[in-house]
Amino acid sequence: MSVKYIPVQWNRSKWVYDALMLIAVTLFLYVFLFVSPEVLSHEAPINPQVHNARAFGACAFLMLTVILCIGPLARIDRRFLPLLYNRRHFGVMTAFVAITHAGYILNWYFAFSNSDKYEALLFANTSYGQLAGFPFEAFGIFALICLLILAATSHDFWMKFLTPPVWKRIHASIYLAYVAVVAHVSLGILQDQQNHVFTVIFIGGALTVAGLHAYAAWQEDRRGDELGADQDGWIDICDASEIEEGLAKIKILPNGERVAVFRHEGKLNAISNACAHQNGPLGEGRIIDCLVTCPWHGFQYDVRNGRSPAPFTEKIPTYNLRIENGHVQVHRDANPPGTPVEPVEVPA
Amino acid sequence: MNTAEFLLMVVKWWGAIGALVALVFLTVGMDRIDEDADGAYVFRPLLIPGILLIWPLVLWRWYCLAFETDHWAHRYKPRRHNHRIFAYVMPIAIVLVIAAGLSVRQQWPAHIAPEQLSAPEASQ
Repeated sequence: MSVKYIPVQWNRSKWVYDALMLIAVTLFLYVFLFVSPEVLSHEAPINPQVHNARAFGACAFLMLTVILCIGPLARIDRRFLPLLYNRRHFGVMTAFVAITHAGYILNWYFAFSNSDKYEALLFANTSYGQLAGFPFEAFGIFALICLLILAATSHDFWMKFLTPPVWKRIHASIYLAYVAVVAHVSLGILQDQQNHVFTVIFIGGALTVAGLHAYAAWQEDRRGDELGADQDGWIDICDASEIEEGLAKIKILPNGERVAVFRHEGKLNAISNACAHQNGPLGEGRIIDCLVTCPWHGFQYDVRNGRSPAPFTEKIPTYNLRIENGHVQVHRDANPPGTPVEPVEVPA
Repeated sequence: MNTAEFLLMVVKWWGAIGALVALVFLTVGMDRIDEDADGAYVFRPLLIPGILLIWPLVLWRWYCLAFETDHWAHRYKPRRHNHRIFAYVMPIAIVLVIAAGLSVRQQWPAHIAPEQLSAPEASQ
């Protein structure tokens, strides 16, 4: 949260998350390099440089695959939400693993000519007009640039500075990066793969990502938030009795924004559904100690005024609300962030 | 100058301008546009790689914040519809790319022994 920026906002959960991630990466590299050379077709004599490059490349692909599975899994089943909590650290570590892979490649395949190795990487293969023998390195370079931008802009400062919508647009390049990585592998190492264990792992991982995203999006289309009906500027949300204590009902407003109407101690308040931090779905969170808690990263807001508790300074827009014939209605125009709104009593 | 040299020169200039932007932004500009950065210095070196990479965007946002051209409502527009597009297009792209890769993969019969096409003496 805000107050003062610090390099990394550690807490116990993040320490545990990062420690587990580090152990998993170390374990993967150890197994790849020392335990399973015959399974992964490394029984042929290859030098340590190539062996390391393959290990870090495979690790980066697997990490990226897991990262991209977390989002749809959390949407399909809320029990996966804890994995979402510290996904940014996961991404930063993936970028480091990918750089190491690129470093081994550059310092072996492109390092022994009179040319600069970076130039050699760009001009060694320029057969862009054909699929077989396509310069797959270009896809790797593109994916690496995307990963570096995402890792370099992962600090909370960037989110506030760029605004969450712009930040999220930049970070949507992770999808392009993943497709580029799949192309990098498909037109690269997959062309030379004699052992099918790797082929099955690679295709299985990529298709899992594809399937989970498509399924989660299809499910959201079927059961997602509905558009509220407009009545002279007031949007019909639902019957007042439908909102459970401590929870919210989410509706889409005519301008495309989402509003979350919470019930707390028998009274109703409406706030923006978008958390000020990463635009997480506040309406899917619950009220803890009088504060709406974002299910993504735990940011909290007072439901009556959209303000984070002191000393934090985050604010979200609030909405005016009324009850007409037992129906909850929200005014379509949001109040500026942090505007107090008197709670409306639910009729008995 | 070949294309590779040109591209690397562009990268070097991009980085050099980014370094200049980082220097001015982190020492002078940041304190004026973000109250949370006031007195916080340890985290600033962490921002240097980001500024080097996306300095045009940094300049644009710096201008927006310095001259208060932002509208508060823009901060609260989640890009869910964008994600929906990616969620449907990415799986199709993944399947097409893998199919393309497999289609050009060369399969050699494993039982055929390697054969020398010409004797070493003949080729010399």
